[in-house]
Amino acid sequence: MNLLYATLSLILAYFYVSIASLLWEGIDRKLVARMQRRVGPPLLQPFYDFLKLASKESIIPRNAGKLFELAPVFVLAVSIALLAYTPFGFTPLFSTKGDVIVFIYLLTLIGFIRVLGAINSGSPYAQIGAQREMVILVSREVPMMLGLFAILWRLSKLGVSKPFSMATFYEHNIWEIGTPLSFIGTTILLLVFLAWLASEIEVGYFNIPEAEEEIAEGPMAEYSGRHLALFKLSNSLKEFISASLVVAIFFPWGIGSVLGLTGVAALIVDVIFHTLKVFAVLFISMSVFRAITGRLRITQAAQAFWLRTLPAAILGALLLAIDILEVIA
Amino acid sequence: MNERLEYWVKIPVGPIHPALEEPEKFIITLDGERIINVDVKLGYNLRGIEWIAMRRNWIQVLYLVERICGICSFSHNHTYSRAVEEMAGIEVPERAEYIRAIFGELERVHSHLLNLGVAGHAIGYDTVLHLTWLARERVMDILEAMGGNRVNYAINMIGGVRRDLEEKHRRMLLDMVKYYREEVMPKIEEIFLYDPTIEARLRDAGVIPKRIAIEYSAQGPTARGSGVKKDVRYNEKLGVYPDLGVKPITPKEFTGVIKGDVFDRMVVRVGELWQSLDIIEHALDQMPEGKIKAFAKDNMVIFKLKKAEGEGIGRYEAPRGELLHYVRAEKGRDGPAKWKAREPTFPNLFAVARALVGEQVADIPVAIASIDPCLSCTDRVAIVDAETGKKKILTEEDLLRESYKKTKEINPKLKIKPERIGVGCMRGGVL
Amino acid sequence: MTPEEFLERIKEKFDVEAHISENKMPHPRRRVWITVGKDEFKELMRLIKEIDQRAQFSIIIGEDRGDYLSAEYHLELFYEQEPSLSIIVSTSCSKEDPTLPTITDIFPSSLPYEREIQEFLGIFFEGIPDPRRLFLPDDFPDGIYPLRLDEKGIKPEMIKNAGHPYNLKKGGAQ
Repeated sequence: MNLLYATLSLILAYFYVSIASLLWEGIDRKLVARMQRRVGPPLLQPFYDFLKLASKESIIPRNAGKLFELAPVFVLAVSIALLAYTPFGFTPLFSTKGDVIVFIYLLTLIGFIRVLGAINSGSPYAQIGAQREMVILVSREVPMMLGLFAILWRLSKLGVSKPFSMATFYEHNIWEIGTPLSFIGTTILLLVFLAWLASEIEVGYFNIPEAEEEIAEGPMAEYSGRHLALFKLSNSLKEFISASLVVAIFFPWGIGSVLGLTGVAALIVDVIFHTLKVFAVLFISMSVFRAITGRLRITQAAQAFWLRTLPAAILGALLLAIDILEVIA
Repeated sequence: MNERLEYWVKIPVGPIHPALEEPEKFIITLDGERIINVDVKLGYNLRGIEWIAMRRNWIQVLYLVERICGICSFSHNHTYSRAVEEMAGIEVPERAEYIRAIFGELERVHSHLLNLGVAGHAIGYDTVLHLTWLARERVMDILEAMGGNRVNYAINMIGGVRRDLEEKHRRMLLDMVKYYREEVMPKIEEIFLYDPTIEARLRDAGVIPKRIAIEYSAQGPTARGSGVKKDVRYNEKLGVYPDLGVKPITPKEFTGVIKGDVFDRMVVRVGELWQSLDIIEHALDQMPEGKIKAFAKDNMVIFKLKKAEGEGIGRYEAPRGELLHYVRAEKGRDGPAKWKAREPTFPNLFAVARALVGEQVADIPVAIASIDPCLSCTDRVAIVDAETGKKKILTEEDLLRESYKKTKEINPKLKIKPERIGVGCMRGGVL
Repeated sequence: MTPEEFLERIKEKFDVEAHISENKMPHPRRRVWITVGKDEFKELMRLIKEIDQRAQFSIIIGEDRGDYLSAEYHLELFYEQEPSLSIIVSTSCSKEDPTLPTITDIFPSSLPYEREIQEFLGIFFEGIPDPRRLFLPDDFPDGIYPLRLDEKGIKPEMIKNAGHPYNLKKGGAQ
């Protein structure tokens, strides 16, 4: 494809997603505040926060290693790279065969770089936060990957152009298979994915590594000023991107074709519709979850992953596999 | 074995920490996520109150004592009056005793609601924090209508109370009790007895076994949560509380199981909320008419106390435990020769520090919030102002002048003259 | 156990001055005040712990009484009864020899109170397991005991007075 076209659309996607995700954060804080019978901050508060943080001085502790200053930049770079593979209501820009694996790799890399940055900050609080982040990082990806690969394998049996890529979701839909087994399996996997989304954003039960500021300030303990602004921005981007994955798998229908538009107008309408769907999924997984639950201990959260979510994912995948065997047989 | 010690990390929790409401320093030795040792260091809120109290007269110490702590201000007031009354043999009229009981229970309601919210905040459950603090507003309104202030309502005087309860206050109180019983308490019970997050976090966290609670003399809900049945209002037969039917509340009546963890202490607080509402109703029914002060004029108090001598001890159950004041008088002085207070957070801190050994890091703020630390009460002994090298000392007039200068820059039309409002005390230093 | 029975048991073994005070509340409350010398003090504490294993220790009140230093200990026994037993034991030591025996082996919860009295009044408790400072900062000068009224107390130039009406001279700060 045209290199100029690709670069421009990536930059455009970056700006659009930054604004949309920061806007979502403002809406989320306002909604949670109304649920707690408070007034809440103004809707544009995250923008003000970002601008304020970007203009403040960054303090670097004396014991910090070299990666301390590089980690925020890396994290933001990886988030932008992720944007190239994110579905926005249509097939992502750079999608190739097997790009789902790149997607998952980049998503996990973000968490890993956060841990590196935390360890390099030289504060004992950050060390404890980094330990927890590692535990959660390892535990949460396993059920998600199992579910994702099961769905992709099932869909690839229906005949797709690029197996194991994001484009699959826009060619065939998991719900259109129609057999009862696949329906139950997909519903179970939907719940697994919603739990995964909550733990990816780290809210509610899983608000453990970062905002466990109650005890140990977490991996963000020593960051301030510009570095913290970059981290927060990449967090918002990651929320949007993770929710986009869930929307693309389970609710990928666009309305551009329904309204009969073509070309650029259809693209824009699809993108806006996708954003609205992302907001709806995030509302369930982030706002409501945050308002009605507290925080678990790290041992309890790890148990929740390995003893509840993983068996559910295995069950869902098994149901889909049985379904495939019926089709073949 | 020596290699293991390298992995042990010492982190300080405090003095400034998001988990703590007041400054104290816990130096925690960690092995991964397990706590090996907890060391407590206090003294960050030291204001020199005992030293000041040695140089004031009886009524001034009454107001000084009230400002030790914001939440238990009435308790300090009350206990000091009891100590002085015991020493001097002053008898308090019965109506005043009932009014004191009502105020004490109102303060207990307000303090327990605050602590329930703080416990919710410590586990990240912010919704609980906001909703319980919203429920507190009703009690604060009543306290403001009756006492004149939301905190530090100086309602006690040596020998009685200063304000009387009128008919409209009585109606407001009964409305408030009905509101709490029907709307607030069922929700609080639902949260603190049955909610899954609360149960997952608070059960088996910060366990204080009964043996340690007795050995370290833990007080208040901390002790009662571990099954130690003591309550100063019951043990001392304090005032009119035996007529109102006060018994120590343990979690056995609510959940049937006593484990001594944070969950049990919260259950004890919920139980005490129910009990306080009952006590307020009974007190309103049983209150007789009569005077509210033993001495009609306040000057007579000092006059009588100048001739008294002896020692007196006052004990009362503050929302956090047993509060004890000691007063000693010599003939001819118009102030106490010695005054000392002991508040309940002091032994509770050491008990919980001992109990935290072997727990996880995640339980530190929950355990500390569960004993309801009021460090302002703990650090109140003698003055420590050492020199800092600063030569210029600004007086009140200087500071006022500076601030008015700034106001004049903003609005030059204002006519302001910086002067002190009010008169100082007639006599100079008392000693 | 009523206060009279308790006092009898104490008086069987020790020769102490004691009296029972009663205050004028609607349900009058009685307390036992015992004064004992420094040498018999520890034995008396052991006897009290024998009478009730679960005695609760409340506070040590230390005071500078001119030529001697006194320390009063408040204990509560039988805390499950309706009127529990409230005891105050008082000892003293002279200023030339400011030592007292420690009771942390009998009542382990008295350690923080002993540390507090050590740093504020200068009484040294023999055998205390942990003699560090509790409240005062570590750079507070040694030898100055804030609660004493003699030359070892707070010196006037250590006090910063930011304009309190008592000590304000005409024209500003001290």
